Amino acid sequence: MNNTPLVQLENVSRIYQQGKVQVAAVTEFSLDVQAGEFSVLCGPSGSGKTTILNLIGALDEPSLGRVRLEGRDLAELGRSDLARLRRDRIGFVFQSYNLNPVLTACENAEFVLALQNIPKAQRRQRVMAVLAEVGMAELAQRRPDELSGGQQQRVAIARAIVSHPAIVLADEPTANVDSATADAILDLMVRLNQEQGITFLFSTHDQRVMDRARRLIHLRDGRLEHDEVRG
Amino acid sequence: MQLTTMAWRTLMRNKRRSVITAFSVAFGVLLSVTFTASSDYAYTNMINTSAVMGLGHLSVEHPDYQDTPTLDKRLLDAEAVQQRALQTPGVTAAQVRIMGQAMFASGAKSVGGAFIAIDPGQETPAHNIFLRTLVEGQCFSADEEHGVVVGAKMAEKLNLRLGKKLIFTMTDKDGELVSELGRVSGIFKTGDDSVDGAVVLFPLALARKGLGYEPNAASLVAIFLSDHRAAKTIKGKLAGLWAQRPDIGVLTWQESQPDLAGLIAVDRLFNYLLQFLVGLVIAAGIMNTLLMSVMERQWEFGIMMALGMMPGQVVRLVLLESCWLGLLGLALGVIITTPWFLYMARIGIDFSGQIGKDYSAGGVLVDPVMKFRLYRESAMCIAAAVFSLTMVAGIFPAFKAGRTTPVENLKQG
Repeated sequence: MNNTPLVQLENVSRIYQQGKVQVAAVTEFSLDVQAGEFSVLCGPSGSGKTTILNLIGALDEPSLGRVRLEGRDLAELGRSDLARLRRDRIGFVFQSYNLNPVLTACENAEFVLALQNIPKAQRRQRVMAVLAEVGMAELAQRRPDELSGGQQQRVAIARAIVSHPAIVLADEPTANVDSATADAILDLMVRLNQEQGITFLFSTHDQRVMDRARRLIHLRDGRLEHDEVRG
Repeated sequence: MQLTTMAWRTLMRNKRRSVITAFSVAFGVLLSVTFTASSDYAYTNMINTSAVMGLGHLSVEHPDYQDTPTLDKRLLDAEAVQQRALQTPGVTAAQVRIMGQAMFASGAKSVGGAFIAIDPGQETPAHNIFLRTLVEGQCFSADEEHGVVVGAKMAEKLNLRLGKKLIFTMTDKDGELVSELGRVSGIFKTGDDSVDGAVVLFPLALARKGLGYEPNAASLVAIFLSDHRAAKTIKGKLAGLWAQRPDIGVLTWQESQPDLAGLIAVDRLFNYLLQFLVGLVIAAGIMNTLLMSVMERQWEFGIMMALGMMPGQVVRLVLLESCWLGLLGLALGVIITTPWFLYMARIGIDFSGQIGKDYSAGGVLVDPVMKFRLYRESAMCIAAAVFSLTMVAGIFPAFKAGRTTPVENLKQG
């Protein structure tokens, strides 16, 4: 059995240059995430949650340290390889849904599959199955401006999981929806994690998300404060 | 989801801005068609007018005649050359002529000028501007051995009327001065005083007799083409026919009339330059629009890149938007240009009130009515140039969109 963690961060620091001042968003941070986890990065604003998600998601590069995904050192990959990695192995759910406004729900959900050059008939079939899974099959032909916030977030989840990624990174996924919708979305994600074994890593300070997490990674000022694994 | 569809929908997100930009492309098409079609018409008109003033679109003559046009340099079998030329595709007419300098005198005065000796049995107004512009009398017939047709200005200078005698003195093939007597059968008026005061037509037979030419000899065969643009190609074919004949040379209208060719070349160059400058202004507008659109959508590009879109695909997406903008602009351009083009092709604008009816350039009469004529190649060239310019204008915004890293784009949200 392969015991390599799905995600490994080794002494990672991320320092930004703001004018003449250097600001450390993350400092000497290490973390392992195993496949199948339902984990949460939590902490106050500015604690480095989003920066860590960006580093794991190959959207940003660490100033120091190493980030590995499925054992691959991201620093060794070029821009195109990183894009391919994001496309094939990582799913993203953003705070503001970020669906493409010119595409329908169905087209948004199949965007990644189209980038993977999967034949149209095959990707349509997969997308419709996933949209049904997230309860959006009936609204597949609607554009984002014809959907509520919760519906848009469901489409965003469908987009994130349709390509069977190794991990879904969700940045404050409940921040812009009402409580009932947030609960529904979280229930959906828990179900996908339990039934399909999809690995989720959230960044949030929403208590509802933290309540459902099996692991809480507390951050403060860009450093690991406490790593809590629940039974 | 195809990138092309996505690009189109993105463009239609801000319809007003896209349509305004497309209209600037369309305006470029309108301007380009105006410049090119008016030039195509004017140049064609000038070239065809110059052809019917004597030398044709192609002239077959002795190879040295162009440099030193003396009458000893002649074609000895002009009729055979004429018949061979007439069998060549693209040639609509071939006329045997003798052209040279002479002194013309009447009882009153004498003036220097040029003569064109023609075969009245073969010449038609379609290929001879002087016969087309007869204002008095008619062309001499094949039976009239001493008939002459003179310009109105010369008739005025020499006090000539129909039936009056005209003596012309020229140098024969051996360099001796010879004189012949003619009688005025017709008077022409082209509108260009320099031509009307200097050109005289008389029979080929009379010229051959006076110059001591052999029965089939002539100084040139003027060849007329259905399309002047084929001059170089047909010259190549004809020159091939007579490759073994060192006494025969073929000249295009550009070679036989370098002044006119130079005038057209310079005018065309300025025309292109003007169109290029207009194109640059329009391209700057298009680039500005695309750049604005790219800057506004940096966050979107960040999302697409986060989802795995390659930088090259982002570049392609913006270039496709540029491509759609170009096609939309071309389509609008065709719509707004067509009525203007049809009006100008059929009716035109008469500038004779401003420049007078007698307007010549490079020694060739110019039509004072501005009209349009657009060759298929010119239309294709305009479409290709406008479309290419739109695409070029999209390159910088496209690379700007593709060059930024996903995290930088996401920070713009």
